[in-house]
Amino acid sequence: MALIADPDEDLVRRVGQGDPAAIQAMVARKLPRMLALAQRMLGDAAEAEDVAQDAMLRAWKQAPRWKPGQAKFDTWLHRVGLNLCYDRLRRRRETPTATPPDRPDPGPGPDRGLMAADVGVRVDAALARLPDRQREAIVLCHYQELTNIEAAALMAVSVEALESLLSRGRRALRQALADVRPGAEGV
Amino acid sequence: MTSERFLALIAAYGADARRWPDAERAAAQAFLAAEADVIGAALAEADAADALLNASCVAHPSIALRDRIIASAAQAGLKARRQGGRWLNRLAITMGAGCAAATFTGIVAGVMMTTWLTADAQADAILYQASLLGVDDTELLG
Repeated sequence: MALIADPDEDLVRRVGQGDPAAIQAMVARKLPRMLALAQRMLGDAAEAEDVAQDAMLRAWKQAPRWKPGQAKFDTWLHRVGLNLCYDRLRRRRETPTATPPDRPDPGPGPDRGLMAADVGVRVDAALARLPDRQREAIVLCHYQELTNIEAAALMAVSVEALESLLSRGRRALRQALADVRPGAEGV
Repeated sequence: MTSERFLALIAAYGADARRWPDAERAAAQAFLAAEADVIGAALAEADAADALLNASCVAHPSIALRDRIIASAAQAGLKARRQGGRWLNRLAITMGAGCAAATFTGIVAGVMMTTWLTADAQADAILYQASLLGVDDTELLG
C-alpha cells in the first residue's frame, strides 16, 4: 500500500511527545475546522463545542500511537467528528424531547434590506433543513474543502453517489432561497 | 470532457474550478474556455449556489474553549518529555565521574607525596645525627 503524504505528520509526532508548542499549534489548526464541521452538522453552538472538545481529546489520545503513512490525520479527525455528530443526531431522533427547536427560514425582515448577516442566517437554516447526508456532503466538500475522494471515503459512498448528494443538496438550497438574488448585498 | 459531464461537475462542485476534482480540472477548464457561451446559464446558476453557501458563517472558537482543550491534553496523558533532561542527566553523570576521578587522583598524589617527603626527612635526620654524634647509620636505621 502506498504511503499517504500527510501535512500534519510532523505536528502529530510532536504532539505525541507532549510538546506544548505543538499542542497549541494543533489546536490553532484543527479546532476551527472541528467546530465549523460540528456547527454545520448540528446547527447548535453549544453541542458543536462539546463535539469539538471531544474530538480534540481523542486526537490527544491518538497522537502518541499515530502511525504515519496509513491515513491523513485530518481525515481521521473528520471521521471522529462526524461520528460524534451522528451520535447526537441519532439521540435527537430517539429522544423527541431533546430535539432542538426547529429553525424555520426567517425570511427577509419587513422593514430592512437583505443584509449579509441575514443571508448567512437563512443559509444556515436552509442547510439545517437538508437531509443529513446531503448536508454532510456539502459540509465536507464545500466548507471543509476535502477532496471528493476523501469525502466519499468518509461517507462510505462512491464518488458518483457523493456527487448526486452534492447536486441534490445544492439544488434544494437554491430552491429554499429562491428569493435571495445573486448579487444582493453580501451575496 | 462532455457537455453532460461538465454540467454534472458544476452541479455537484460549483462554478469555482479550485473545487473541481484534480483529475478532471484541466479538461473541464479547457471545455469551459471552448464552450463558455453554451454553458453560461448553468455556470451562473452554480455560481449563485456558491455565493449562497459562502454567506454561511460560523463562530470562531472562544478563548475559553481553546484553553479547555489545551488543558485536556495534559489530562489525556500528553506531558512534555523534557528533552533537555536527558542531556542534563548525561552531563551530571559525566561531571560526577570527573569529580570522582579527580578525587582519586588527588588521593594517590597525596600518598605519593607523603612518602617522598617522609623519605627525604628521614635521610636528613640520619645525616644530621651522624654529623653530631658520629654514630653508625645502622644504629639509627635499625
